Amino acid sequence: MRKLSRRDFLGMSLKSGAATMFAGIFAPTATSLMGLGGVAHASTKKITPFTFAVLTDAHLYDIPDHKFDAILEKSVADVNSLQPAPDFVLYGGDLGQSGKKEELIKGKRILDKLKMPYKIILGEHDYYLDMGKAWRALFGDEHWSFDHKGTHIIGMNSILVDDFWSMRNLTPLERMGYMEELECHQCGLWGVQEKQLDWLEKDVKKLNPDTPILIMTHSPLWDYYPRWNFQTVDAPEIRQILRKFEKVMAIHGHVHQVVYNSIGNISSAGLLSTSWPWPYPPVDLPYPNIRMNRADPGDFEDGLGSHSIDLASNFDGIVNYRAFSDLLPENVKRGIKL
Amino acid sequence: MKNIHGFITFKNVSLATCVVITLIALGSVNAKTPPTSAEMEDQKNMLMSAVKRGDDLWHTAKLGSNGLACGNCHPDGSATNPHTWPKYQSNLGKVGTLREMINWCIAVPLLGTPLASDSDDMIAMEAYVMYTHRGVAIAPAKYEQHGATPVVSGPGYPNANSGNR
Repeated sequence: MRKLSRRDFLGMSLKSGAATMFAGIFAPTATSLMGLGGVAHASTKKITPFTFAVLTDAHLYDIPDHKFDAILEKSVADVNSLQPAPDFVLYGGDLGQSGKKEELIKGKRILDKLKMPYKIILGEHDYYLDMGKAWRALFGDEHWSFDHKGTHIIGMNSILVDDFWSMRNLTPLERMGYMEELECHQCGLWGVQEKQLDWLEKDVKKLNPDTPILIMTHSPLWDYYPRWNFQTVDAPEIRQILRKFEKVMAIHGHVHQVVYNSIGNISSAGLLSTSWPWPYPPVDLPYPNIRMNRADPGDFEDGLGSHSIDLASNFDGIVNYRAFSDLLPENVKRGIKL
Repeated sequence: MKNIHGFITFKNVSLATCVVITLIALGSVNAKTPPTSAEMEDQKNMLMSAVKRGDDLWHTAKLGSNGLACGNCHPDGSATNPHTWPKYQSNLGKVGTLREMINWCIAVPLLGTPLASDSDDMIAMEAYVMYTHRGVAIAPAKYEQHGATPVVSGPGYPNANSGNR
């Protein structure tokens, strides 16, 4: 039954045809197809307001005193300096660049300087050298959830691709090299895959629809720019599982940029990296006013930053981009409403 | 207008020039035939070979010393805006060329050794960047506020497979 309903849903979303290929027109089409009635409503359920911080995409190299080490150190110090202190920190993946144990150990050593607890998910750069072995040994489960002051918080591994390496007889190092290239032409589209969809379905089954949901994945849960894997291939299934909730906030790494979208009951925000910024891909943005300015390549901190997210008692969220240089237009400086 | 002998009118000069140009043009048709489709194919293959070499260089850490490649920040050659060069570039502190900017990126963000401007590697890098932007209008000094100009990609650049296109 469950699989059938997923397939039915997928067939339905495919009928929206080319709309799924273009960010700009995807949201309204999908919303009307899903019968979600358009604008998401803020939950009236009271949560205890809180603030948490988010860091992502450090891309650390196994090179001593690398410039990205210093930027991650700076972002950790920035989070530690926040007043009031965030309750916890979420880390959005790509802690390392080439999946090496040494990169991940270095990253953990820096993240362990956070004064508050943190939860972390995988990015493709952490994974494809040893298929996540070193990462799991350091950080535990690839997907998880917890409840905090009335909000249900979910983290998932969205970077799983089908085997493209066996038929090419690639070594683990070569496989990692393919995945390190954003525009990898052989790697295919990634997603959370069936096991995690089953897990997610069970995880939220008993929650009331008025439960505020916050979900973090490495890649966006909408079809932004597949060529750079600015997408999660089974995002439609994830959105279907979460559609019963009044309001879902989604945050994601991978894009190294300010970006926003809203589909049905889910609003999404992309996050700044602590390594390098990425330009906007050649598609229309669904919300073109919510983006960052061009970064100066001569300023190694431009385009980078940390984030704090404030959740109000009615589960309105504000994403505060804490850019390390003068990157943000005025409307984004004031924070983005989720 | 007079010629050196002073007795040919302007009109006569024009006429004479037209006749000469016509003769040259007719002569060149006879002297050089257009390339055959096989020759055109060879030329295209030589270009694509340079593009492929540039693509490989673009995505290797070997040009630098800190692990980074050009492709880290510029996937698909994006945010390089090759159609806007030459122009004043603040990082160069002068009016410079795309090749000079490539070398600046190798030297500064990548901490590498700049390439010789006329080297096969540099020409290949330029071929790759230009090829990803084929069809984009030339616009010297145009400022791209958001970094990326539409990248021309996909069909036409033979790359094995793609799940991503």
